[in-house]
Amino acid sequence: MLPPTAVLRRPARAARVLATALLALLAACGGDAGGDGVRLTVSGSALGKEGEVLRRQMARFEAANPGVRVEVQQTPDDATQRHQLYVQWLNARVGRPDVLQLDVVWTPEFAAAGWILPLDRYGPPRADLFPASLEANTWRDTLYALPWFMDVGMLYWRTDLVPTAPRTLDELEAQARRARPGTAPPRRGIVWQGARYEGLVTVFLEYLGGFGGAILTPDARVAVGSPEAVRALRFMRAQVARGGIAPREVLTWHEEEARFAFQNGTAVFMRNWPYAAALLGDTAESRVAGRFAVAPMPAAPGGRPTAALGGAQLAVNAHSRHPDEAYRLIAFLTAPEQMLERAAVVGQYPARRSVYADPRLEAALGLPVAGVLDVVEAATPRPVTPIYTQLSGILQVHLHRALVGETTPEAALAAAAREMERVVERTGIRRVQR
Amino acid sequence: MTSERRFALALVAPALAAILLVAVFPLGWTVWESLHRHDLRMPWLGRPFVGLGNYAEILRDGRFRGAMAHTATFTAVTVALELLLGLFLALAMNRAFRGRALVRAAVLVPWAIPTVVAALLWRFLFDSQAGVVNAALTGLGATAEAPVWFVDGTLAWVPLVLADVWKTTPFVALLLLAGLQNIPGELYEAAAVDGAGRWGRLRHVTLPLLRPAILVALVFRTMDAFRVFDLVYVLTGGGPGTATETIALYTFNTLFQNLRFGYGSALSVTVFAVTFALAMIYVRALGTGPAGEGR
Amino acid sequence: MRGRGAGPLATAALALLVAFAAFPFAWALLASVTPEAELFRGGGVLPERWVADHYRALFATRDFWVPIRNSLVVAGTTTAFCVTVGGLAAYALARLDFPGKAPVLGLVLAVTMFPQISIVSPLFLLLRGLRLIDTYPGLVLPYLTFAMPLTVWLLVGYFRQIPPDLEEAARIDGATRWQALTRVVLPLAVPGLATTAILTFIYCWNEFLFALSFTLGPDRRTVPVAIALFRGQYQVPWGEVLAASVVATAPVAALVLAFQRRIVQGLTSGAVKG
Repeated sequence: MLPPTAVLRRPARAARVLATALLALLAACGGDAGGDGVRLTVSGSALGKEGEVLRRQMARFEAANPGVRVEVQQTPDDATQRHQLYVQWLNARVGRPDVLQLDVVWTPEFAAAGWILPLDRYGPPRADLFPASLEANTWRDTLYALPWFMDVGMLYWRTDLVPTAPRTLDELEAQARRARPGTAPPRRGIVWQGARYEGLVTVFLEYLGGFGGAILTPDARVAVGSPEAVRALRFMRAQVARGGIAPREVLTWHEEEARFAFQNGTAVFMRNWPYAAALLGDTAESRVAGRFAVAPMPAAPGGRPTAALGGAQLAVNAHSRHPDEAYRLIAFLTAPEQMLERAAVVGQYPARRSVYADPRLEAALGLPVAGVLDVVEAATPRPVTPIYTQLSGILQVHLHRALVGETTPEAALAAAAREMERVVERTGIRRVQR
Repeated sequence: MTSERRFALALVAPALAAILLVAVFPLGWTVWESLHRHDLRMPWLGRPFVGLGNYAEILRDGRFRGAMAHTATFTAVTVALELLLGLFLALAMNRAFRGRALVRAAVLVPWAIPTVVAALLWRFLFDSQAGVVNAALTGLGATAEAPVWFVDGTLAWVPLVLADVWKTTPFVALLLLAGLQNIPGELYEAAAVDGAGRWGRLRHVTLPLLRPAILVALVFRTMDAFRVFDLVYVLTGGGPGTATETIALYTFNTLFQNLRFGYGSALSVTVFAVTFALAMIYVRALGTGPAGEGR
Repeated sequence: MRGRGAGPLATAALALLVAFAAFPFAWALLASVTPEAELFRGGGVLPERWVADHYRALFATRDFWVPIRNSLVVAGTTTAFCVTVGGLAAYALARLDFPGKAPVLGLVLAVTMFPQISIVSPLFLLLRGLRLIDTYPGLVLPYLTFAMPLTVWLLVGYFRQIPPDLEEAARIDGATRWQALTRVVLPLAVPGLATTAILTFIYCWNEFLFALSFTLGPDRRTVPVAIALFRGQYQVPWGEVLAASVVATAPVAALVLAFQRRIVQGLTSGAVKG
């Protein structure tokens, strides 16, 4: 049967060439370069100034720990994308990155999944941490991550339009109405982040705490349908309704849109995170430089000023091959000296009490320390449970529906509470959580 | 085995091998996962085999139904628009006119921009304050008050559909253009001699001979529209509420936000089944599956 | 229809469509030379001052050449592989008779029907097992899941539209099947191959999820991933993102301009009779 095999020879040869090429490529790549010494990988925010200060601190750590080399593995700062990558890697038991930067709400989730190491055996500086941080990073009575810096939601207010920071929510409303930017384009009383995403839940958390409510009780009961919660949501809804002090646009805004609105001088108040302060103080780009200050979000009678806790935490990958060195790196990066440096360069609030007693902090931050400490001490974590993301997803949807006007606040919160309760039941989390 | 068969199998083998290498494991894994209850957040619950339990849950899931409805509507509208516009563009680009090369390149540019960037662009354009669309609308006096697009459950679809049509019509146009090239000019002349006008030529010569190309365009565009993710995630995030949540977004949330891998895999298999059914319908309706004969 | 004058309505519609296609990109071009604070101020379309900072930052601080190179390599390799291997399979499916045609086509298509997100995790496991994470083949292989079906289906269509007379004539003249394929059919199929190549290339160029999930370091990242990494936690450096998009579109546009004449060759270039 010569002719057919002759015919087969040509295409078969082509196939063989392709296969060899593929194998050659395969051989050329992959494979671990073994080396002496320990190589640690850190996954964290490494853009701009944060990147600079991180690299500087890593160099100091390497100098103090000969034999250990540290490198940064860049992951997207977009929380959802970073979370997806972490899930993929950790589920596949990948040992790198050794040190993970976690969003504050991920700790219980990763701890429950067995993806990060408990840190208690290394003797972490518990006494120096704020209660909110401790709560957020503890799962089943064990500490699983150390806070890198504190992010807290707070009120930015225009010192040239309002005499003092409002102490109650009613005062906030009144001041917003009285003082409107005179000559600027659209006048806005207050701007915040109201798009359908996690930021909305943090804003809601602050109003909720201001009215004395909570999302989950300590024994994992859903409390989102309470009268306090309804009052809080009604208050928010009134702000964005016709005649309210917030523009309807906020329901599509994230942090940056709100920041730009305030920066361009068109709002009296803004609720945002600390990162905005440095940008607002930039005299070249900002129209409100030198004319604003920060304060905790005010409360109503029966509630207390609440600042949603955010910020990054550092944890050790459970599959890391060098957990001890990884913890040493975390301890170094969260030491008071390093936190002070971050405050100076990036403007991030330190997560350790002792730093606030340091006289250098005021100069580093460029803000009065007492005011910052006020906000930091009002920090409240979101519910600390592995199913938080799922609960938050449900809450976001219903909050947004109520704010947009599709449903009433009561109906929305009742529906949210039902769904959240169902999830809590089905996952049996109540039995496991402390 | 005849020499023809041997030759054919030799030609098909490399492609098949490549596909099998990359596809068998992931597909099998997904189907297998979908038969278990697997929640990564709670390893103490184990990974019990639940058979079709996840699929039963899907049937009861209201959010799933909503997402499917949104996706189906989105798919129908965008594919129809893209086919129409794509056909028009292809017919136009088929003519010889000066600057044709530039028109072709210009028309293809939207498709060459990374999806995430395109989504950001369109979000900018429809921004209620800084966006050009609202500036134009109020400037022309079409509306008194600038609409806030992303806050209304129905309006939010407009930038979504526009962005998708803008981005992928070039794909369809190019596909159909190449198909048009294969139609011999003589057929048009014959039709003209028979007295057919422009519409007649379109209906009786162009469209029937374009059927294979249209089929491919339909199949691929439908599959893509059904799985749309990046665009929606960046433009609306699924909001307001869940008004623009598509099935891929819901699956992503389930898998990577809620870490429910069993249920998420079941969702994926369901999407696959629906897409497969649609493809089969197309092939039946348009008659000329590439494997079959007959025009 | 071909070569006849177009009505004014048709020309106007075409102009409108072209404007629709080009406008957002033109706007992005303008925005990429605008200073950042101005972008959100909601002023006119034209910037008050023009800056080249964003472009400078792209290449000076962000080393944008590397992702462009990576995207070119990955998209190019995938396209070349799919057009050749897929083309061979397509020819067999279009022309030859063998059992299992429909199942093969079905299988090839089925791969693309799963949402990408669902196969990311198992693909990651697979690639990790093959030690291909953060390598070029580690991206080419997953890309086959959407590039191969597209190529095969497109080329089957094009091959079927080439009349079989020529091949038969060649075989009667003593050519082998392989020779008939390479010497007679392929030259005629060039427009189809070119179109398929362009479509596949751009498809790969755009791809984000796999590129994000299967690369780790800057040496292998592709353009969409690099752009996604520009953004900080809250802030999107719009100027740089838009500048990067403009820069990223250039190679593709060049490719299209180079290839587009090939698409138009068509059957009427004289090869076919009757």
